[in-house]
Amino acid sequence: MNQQTTAPASLEAPQIRIDTLPHAKSLKWPMVWYLLVGQLYSMLPWKKTAWTCAGFPVELLWGFDIFPLHPENMATVAAAQKQSQRLIEHAEGMGYSRDLCSYCKTNLGAVDTNIKTTLGGIAKPDIITCTNTICDTHWKWFQIQAEKLKVPIFIFDCPKIVSGTDERTIEGYINYMVEQFYDFFEFVKKHTGKELNIDRLNRACEESERMSVLWREIYEYRKCVPSPYSSAETSASFFPLVVLPGKKVGIKFFEKIKGDIRKRAESGRGTLSGGAKERYRLLFEGIPFWYKMRFMYDLAKYSAVETYEPYTFSFAPPKPVGKDYTETLREVARIMMDLPYSYNLEKRIQYFEQAVKDFKIDGVILHENLSCRPSSTGMIDLKNAIQEDLGVPVLILQCDMNDPRAYSEAQMKTRIESFIEVMEKNRKG
Amino acid sequence: MKKIAYFDSSHDMPEEIIMAAGFVPYKIFGDVHKSNAPADQYLQAFFCPAARSFLTEALTRSAEWEGIIVAQGCNATNRHYDVWKRHVSTPFLHWFNGPIKDDAMALRFMKTELWRLIDTLNRQFRVSITDDMIAAAIRESNEVKKRLQRVSALRSEKDITNREYLTVLIKSMTLPKKDAVAAIDELIHKAEKGGPIPKNNIKVLLTGSDVTYPELMDQIDEAGFRVVRDDLSVGERYYTTLIPEDGNPVDALARYYLSVPRPATKVGMRKRIEYLEGALADSGLDTVISQNIKFCEPFAYDSVMVNGELKERGIRLLHIEREFTPGPDNQLMNRLAAFSEML
Repeated sequence: MNQQTTAPASLEAPQIRIDTLPHAKSLKWPMVWYLLVGQLYSMLPWKKTAWTCAGFPVELLWGFDIFPLHPENMATVAAAQKQSQRLIEHAEGMGYSRDLCSYCKTNLGAVDTNIKTTLGGIAKPDIITCTNTICDTHWKWFQIQAEKLKVPIFIFDCPKIVSGTDERTIEGYINYMVEQFYDFFEFVKKHTGKELNIDRLNRACEESERMSVLWREIYEYRKCVPSPYSSAETSASFFPLVVLPGKKVGIKFFEKIKGDIRKRAESGRGTLSGGAKERYRLLFEGIPFWYKMRFMYDLAKYSAVETYEPYTFSFAPPKPVGKDYTETLREVARIMMDLPYSYNLEKRIQYFEQAVKDFKIDGVILHENLSCRPSSTGMIDLKNAIQEDLGVPVLILQCDMNDPRAYSEAQMKTRIESFIEVMEKNRKG
Repeated sequence: MKKIAYFDSSHDMPEEIIMAAGFVPYKIFGDVHKSNAPADQYLQAFFCPAARSFLTEALTRSAEWEGIIVAQGCNATNRHYDVWKRHVSTPFLHWFNGPIKDDAMALRFMKTELWRLIDTLNRQFRVSITDDMIAAAIRESNEVKKRLQRVSALRSEKDITNREYLTVLIKSMTLPKKDAVAAIDELIHKAEKGGPIPKNNIKVLLTGSDVTYPELMDQIDEAGFRVVRDDLSVGERYYTTLIPEDGNPVDALARYYLSVPRPATKVGMRKRIEYLEGALADSGLDTVISQNIKFCEPFAYDSVMVNGELKERGIRLLHIEREFTPGPDNQLMNRLAAFSEML
């Protein structure tokens, strides 16, 4: 068995590591800012907070001066702090099936055990809002918590832009979404007393776009060979993009790391330590294994660098800027329904194939996430299309984003090493 | 008559529009006796096995249908549409995006989706669906629902097996409505002339994921339980409400589909609990079997809170997670038998 899980000497070079950016540690300031300001908003009676989910336009909440709390993000904190398994098991003890989303169960366990924020806990909000854009789980989970916590909830019903949907139909969908925005504004006013400040919303959109532009520029640098920045770092550094779009503290952080990345790119240096040659450029699709972030760092041992991840990039879509109120709402509606993470299969294949070309990818890893059936749907077609159309090998890894019980160190190593061999063979062609 | 098949994880597909277009609406149930290997080429094993079976049926039988409509339901319908579009050979595939909410905005959106469906069918099949045609289809549909309501009333007293009940429902959703009416009438006639529910049977309400094959109902029967109420889509959700026959028929359909008992795939867990409580109170029942097919997320999310509230009200409840198999499931039987003994 040991022989099967040990890489040939030529494959593994343990001395090669990921060289983190000089300003990588500056991420702690946006994180501390987020946690402290979030606590302040939770404590002060005239300030209001909302739980929200990925795919929800956080800028809208800033427009009301409502602080967004993210149960998903706090679930990832719990995983990074090695707390998620016990919280998930606690939720399963409450009756929730092993087959359900591990983010949801981490949050259910965190709330039920009243765990500290630094370990992944989260304060009770004034309101809860979510969408069904990415999955049913978001609204099912938040509906449960709204009932348990006795907090009012607003769910956005986002129609699905399936493969082949025409523009006329999409316009009809947008009409429905815009109607819901107005209903949402009434809901917020009723339950928090807050009204939408258009100027504040516009400022939030502008700052948010600034942050998104920075992130997109960082990804342009990642196209360089060797890549100056890998998913080992983006998986943490995209945090401000998710929870703090439109906030200066996040923008400053992005400016700093972009400066580091530019310097690296201009000097032709990659992210591997000691000037090691970048041999395999990888695209990783899906949510990372938050409890095992070392996975992405360990790829360096094989001179492999994850140079693009649709997941971290998907949080930086172009934001509506310089548009009037109605146009802004229609644009936000469109963005909500058409996120890269929830692209329909036809669009997803086109998007991935373009990314493989743009980022000069040697191999694609698709995370078949036991906690996220929607993102796993169509993955077999995606794999086949990339392999057949571009001749680039694709590996499907079944695992889970927040539940360490799904991760087997030895199996993972074996599969990665086999994949490295496949990429090598493919290169020799 | 020619059929248009539909993939519906609840009761969201307005069959009446298909009928008005001159086709027989055929709900895809899959086949629990057949391997899911054809679908497993495209969908992983940790997806709902019923949804995989639906795809298997579509891959092997789509030539029998004039087209397929996929109605928004759970994640399976939403995302699987794209996989079906890629692999199922059919001249017509339509996405019907019913809303998950039931407020005034959702009602307006539902009407828009109904008109989009009508328009698409008109163009695809060169028909001209009129209000009168839809109104006639509604009346025909209501005839089926009224008869099923009669079956439901009878099953509380008379000896209608769980299999007979489910079978007549499946016929109602797959056969031409005239044939469905004949099948229901036959069951009503048999039940009215037949004896009462066997004395040793325990009357229960069945809730949770939809049951799509009779073998599971047999097992519930064999364990000594007689299902006399339910809130399933292949059950009361399909017939407990009648479609309004007055006013504009498209408006009537929109109102109807948003007012049927809420499934777990739609916003409104509180309404779902209220329906269950009402059904239990109306029929004097105090026993519930809650079941969840493996990987059926919407009902798995609901089950903890829904079942918890029912138990708090003194309802005796068994919750089971089941596989998708026609074979005897001894673990399931043991749990049902233990529950029966406990009662």
